[in-house]
Amino acid sequence: MRNRGKKKQGKGVQSMPAGTRIVTYLCLLWALLVALVPLVWLVISSLKKDPLARPGFQLPETICLDGYISTFRDLHVLRYFGNSLFIAGVSVVISVVMISMSAYVVARMEFRGKGLVSTLLYSTMFIPATALTYPVYNLVNRLHLYDTRGALILIYSCSGIAVSFFVIKNYYDNIPRDLEEAARIDGCGYAQTWARVIFPIARPGIMTAAVLAFLNNWNEYYWASLVMITREKLTVPALLSTFTTAFNTNYNGLFSAMVIIILPPIVLYCLFSKFFIEALSGGAVKG
Amino acid sequence: MAAGKAKRGSRGRRRGRRTGFIIAFLAPTLIAFCVFYLYPIVTVFATSFCKWDYTNIANPEFFGWDRMWENYDYIFNTYPFFWEALRNSTLWAILGAAVQIPVATLIALALSRKVKGIRIVRNIYIIPNMISTAAMGVIFLQLYNPSYGIVNPVIRLFKKDFVDNILLLRGPAFIAMTCAYIFFTGTTTLMILGNIMAIPEEVREAAMLDGASGLRQDWHITVPMIKGTLRTVSILAATSGFLLYNEVYFLTKGAAGTYSISYVIRELAITSPRTQFGRANAVAVIQILAGMIIIVALHLLYSISPKRKRKWSK
Repeated sequence: MRNRGKKKQGKGVQSMPAGTRIVTYLCLLWALLVALVPLVWLVISSLKKDPLARPGFQLPETICLDGYISTFRDLHVLRYFGNSLFIAGVSVVISVVMISMSAYVVARMEFRGKGLVSTLLYSTMFIPATALTYPVYNLVNRLHLYDTRGALILIYSCSGIAVSFFVIKNYYDNIPRDLEEAARIDGCGYAQTWARVIFPIARPGIMTAAVLAFLNNWNEYYWASLVMITREKLTVPALLSTFTTAFNTNYNGLFSAMVIIILPPIVLYCLFSKFFIEALSGGAVKG
Repeated sequence: MAAGKAKRGSRGRRRGRRTGFIIAFLAPTLIAFCVFYLYPIVTVFATSFCKWDYTNIANPEFFGWDRMWENYDYIFNTYPFFWEALRNSTLWAILGAAVQIPVATLIALALSRKVKGIRIVRNIYIIPNMISTAAMGVIFLQLYNPSYGIVNPVIRLFKKDFVDNILLLRGPAFIAMTCAYIFFTGTTTLMILGNIMAIPEEVREAAMLDGASGLRQDWHITVPMIKGTLRTVSILAATSGFLLYNEVYFLTKGAAGTYSISYVIRELAITSPRTQFGRANAVAVIQILAGMIIIVALHLLYSISPKRKRKWSK
């Protein structure tokens, strides 16, 4: 197997026409530049005492970490990480459990209206969420959830159904049906079969959906800035809209805070890149 | 006779239990769907024909059949930013399908080749898509800053005395905002790459024997085979381009001709001191309809192209 892989690799590079090779390298170079230029510039700027004095890609004269210290000490950034972690975490658990239940029914059982149910759930991918701004805002107010964590948990649990449904149902489709029959013969009811047999087996698929949903919720800005107003309760993205005024001319502080704020999703990605890559590529690309 | 009846009874009970299970397991998701999607959509449609603003927050009032298009009339003829927003959002939708998808496909094709270090490039390329678009907006706001950003020095190479903020110039502001998100196609690239890798090796080998290799093979064999995925990601890219909000909020707040439809909805419904819920919902109806038009249009576009391609190759 390994040998075959190596052979393929050799064939790939050598048999490529020169034009193709140049285009390939240009594309890869472009990909690296696009991804790295803004981030590298951000990190370099965060280390400068006064980014105004040495703009652009000039390296800092001395490395200044004041901004990083004040991000933790004065901005209390950990509090906002906590808010985001709590809200994103709770809504992921709710939505993933909910969707793994309904995806199971759709994947395994025949019933009237099945086509309609899956069409409705898939269609949520194409419903413009911003069009629902006022009704959702109004609903949150009427449930007396405005400016509470409950509001965002409600919104995040209900949104993003389509992707989770797609990922989890795909995973169920690959589990052999014999397992359920065996469980049924052993006297398990439907719900028990799901909870004891299928759910544990489908854990990798469910985990993939959970990681994707968590990242989406963590990064979500539109609703977070709409239903929350108290500064202490804000999630990390919503905090960003206070930045330009909060830091005024303290650019070192602004850049350092930005670096810290974008760090958790990048760390999460590095830890779970396997899940991300396999989920998004439909399992065809290994992480 | 009696035994048969009992059997039928137990079968009926089992079927009842099965139905109960199906309903119980579907219910939470369907309730979530109704709460977050169905009820809001129905409200949006119904109240777009109502007088409903800051003066009567609690009770929207139907205009009456003869004046039912009042909100739409206001949006089309009086509201100053609607046409600008519709033009921008439509352009962003078109750019999503016309720029993001070719870029994502080219990079996915490059990543599908067996070149050293490809995994590192792939993993790095996805990083910007892992960061919230709000944070990317703030980062680009800094990049575009005239006094310490990196864009103005580049412009100054060509135009020596350029000191303006490009986000305040009509025209450049639109381009700058587009550049702040359009090249980050990490997730799209990955979806396309997944589809490319799923093409059986035999197909590639057969193409090689026919003398098609490299870019020619990609264009004639690979691209037609991944058309289904390309259509889906085009629809997703166009839709999200049409919905652009975060970039507008963080970069310009609608200044210099950069309003988007989402920005208009939020301004009318929430931000403005004289909130206009009915009118905001009229814009929302247009946004939902435009979303459907995008889906239909791209389906049509992707069903025409193969015939044309066949003609070219002949």
